[in-house]
Amino acid sequence: MSKLPQSREAVVLLLLVALIAVIGLINPSFWEPKSLLSMLNTSLILILLATGEMFVILTRGIDVSVGAMMGLAAVVLGLALNAGVPLWLAIVLTLLVGFVLGAINGVGVAFVRIPPIIMTLGALGVYRGMMLILTGGSWIETIPQSIKTLAGMKVFEVSVFAIATLLIVLLTTLLLRRIRQARYFYYVGDNEDGAFMLGIPVRPTQAVAYALSGLFAGVAAVIFVGQIGFVPMQTGYGQELNAIAAGVLGGINLSGGVGSPVSALIGGLFLTVINSALVFLKVPAFWNNAIAGAILLIVVLIDFRVRVAVEMRQRQQRANVRRETSAAIQPSFTPEESR
Amino acid sequence: MKLFKPWLRWEFFLVVLLGVEMAVFGFINPRFLNVENLLYSSSDFAHIMLAALPLTLVIITGGIDISIAAVMGLASIVLGVTWQAGVDVYTALAVALAVGVLAGILNGLLVANTDINPLVITLGTLFLFSGLATAIAGSLGAAGYEGISGLPREFTRLAHGSVGPVPYTLIFVLVLVLLYSILLHKTRFGRSLYLIGANKDAARFSGVPVKQSIVTAYALSSFGGAMAGAMLTAYFTSARSDLGSDALLPTITAVVLGGASILGGSGTIVGSFLAVLILGYLKQGLLALGVTSDVSQVVTGLLLITVVALKYWAADLNQLRRNRRALRTRTNLEGGVLPENQAST
Repeated sequence: MSKLPQSREAVVLLLLVALIAVIGLINPSFWEPKSLLSMLNTSLILILLATGEMFVILTRGIDVSVGAMMGLAAVVLGLALNAGVPLWLAIVLTLLVGFVLGAINGVGVAFVRIPPIIMTLGALGVYRGMMLILTGGSWIETIPQSIKTLAGMKVFEVSVFAIATLLIVLLTTLLLRRIRQARYFYYVGDNEDGAFMLGIPVRPTQAVAYALSGLFAGVAAVIFVGQIGFVPMQTGYGQELNAIAAGVLGGINLSGGVGSPVSALIGGLFLTVINSALVFLKVPAFWNNAIAGAILLIVVLIDFRVRVAVEMRQRQQRANVRRETSAAIQPSFTPEESR
Repeated sequence: MKLFKPWLRWEFFLVVLLGVEMAVFGFINPRFLNVENLLYSSSDFAHIMLAALPLTLVIITGGIDISIAAVMGLASIVLGVTWQAGVDVYTALAVALAVGVLAGILNGLLVANTDINPLVITLGTLFLFSGLATAIAGSLGAAGYEGISGLPREFTRLAHGSVGPVPYTLIFVLVLVLLYSILLHKTRFGRSLYLIGANKDAARFSGVPVKQSIVTAYALSSFGGAMAGAMLTAYFTSARSDLGSDALLPTITAVVLGGASILGGSGTIVGSFLAVLILGYLKQGLLALGVTSDVSQVVTGLLLITVVALKYWAADLNQLRRNRRALRTRTNLEGGVLPENQAST
């Protein structure tokens, strides 16, 4: 079972490499470090949102408010910076806001027991409305240079934000593997009742997943403000669907329990590459969404086919084993059929 | 848990909610209760009704269709493009609706023949359809704000005309409410949708044509999206690929508020219809009070969360009460001795 999702990530990674190779063959300037790095920078927000979303999807939930949380956190960051709050404090505040917004969703889903899509759908309206109320509907401009300087800083030509994002993804992956409590996300999503019977704190785990989703939206907000330099009212609009699509593409299963930050990373990169690729292929950019949608459908369909084939083979093997054992041992013995 | 007492039905609660809403707005601003005005302003959310009614069918089967918003834009641009190519506007309308049905059949086939989460499939088709719409518009140079305008009056009149004070669209929606209600509550197809939502395997084993029903439900849902797209085109008198892109969340909100369980197995057409009225007039009422649409977004979100939370709490309490009663009955039957190992059940 644990082999399958890993192979899915590998398949998508392979597809991604092939895609980059093919586009590069057609238009060699695609391979230039400059364009690859700029694509990486573009994908950061999507990767972070998808990673946050991953925690929620692991617990078999869904969070459609990530875009709105990012927008509201970005507004708070912009307002704080314009009010003269020091950069580090403003960033901490933004992360805190993201975390609290997510935690509100978490409490609603885990403790009030509102179905996730409804809770986060309601929250989407509330957060987006609050964003407009806080700013009076106008864009936040004239944001101090400090955060843009941070965005412009580079180590070996790679921006600090990109390094930070990759480190975050790496760290999250490690923590999810090493910490026992972090495995709870998987247990709860795979089998909620089973996890409860084993004494795993199911509800707190779910609540934490949503809070983490908010926290990651907060990080994405910091990067957004740094990269763009102002906060338009559309900040994060529709990003929730992109984040879910990226995660699913990378191998996060919406039925819960399957996925890793690496899935989010690969999926996020993939969607960004598709979007940038058309420019390099000189195809008009308005085909972006159609191609992204078609690829998403094809990938999940292939995944379905593979899963069915693997399951069939496993069943066949089990049937064979069962036939042999029942032939060897007395007929009164019937092996337990699992699942 | 069939409730025969009418005051315990969700629709009754919705009617009360709608009444309270009207009373509150009417109390603050008596001009709000102008019947002509109320009827007229229903055109502002008629497209939500057109989409929400058939979406109810999909949600009853335990699925979801988030591609309807994209179908609105696709139908709109297809209508515009076909008309621009020199075809009669009603033929263009038929083509647009047919495209909607085809889109729905694609969704339905993918959902019915795989175990992939319907959210993932319709997310994929959402991107696909909206991408196609943008691509069609872009290729023909109609991507701008204007879109394809200059549609004949006989067509735009469909969204603007009225019989007395009652707009055509409202009459049309009411007819649809009746038709969908009959379809859902009085036919075999409708009953099988509930069974599929409650337990898909049980439905299949009891001979319900599961795949066929699911494909039909998604086709109807997309057809509703296409009608909404056509209606928006007539309402704004221009065909644009991004029409209806804001309609997704209000539509789902309405269906859920209307009493359909997002997990499948319950929901009614009348409930969804009432919920659209509640949400639509809430926005209108707040606007009339000078509250901006930003704040009304917050109010709508809070309303959705609160109402659903209350509903689940009520159901939980009810369950708890029935469990206690069952336990009491059993302990009485067994001579007042509570079996140790069953005390927790």
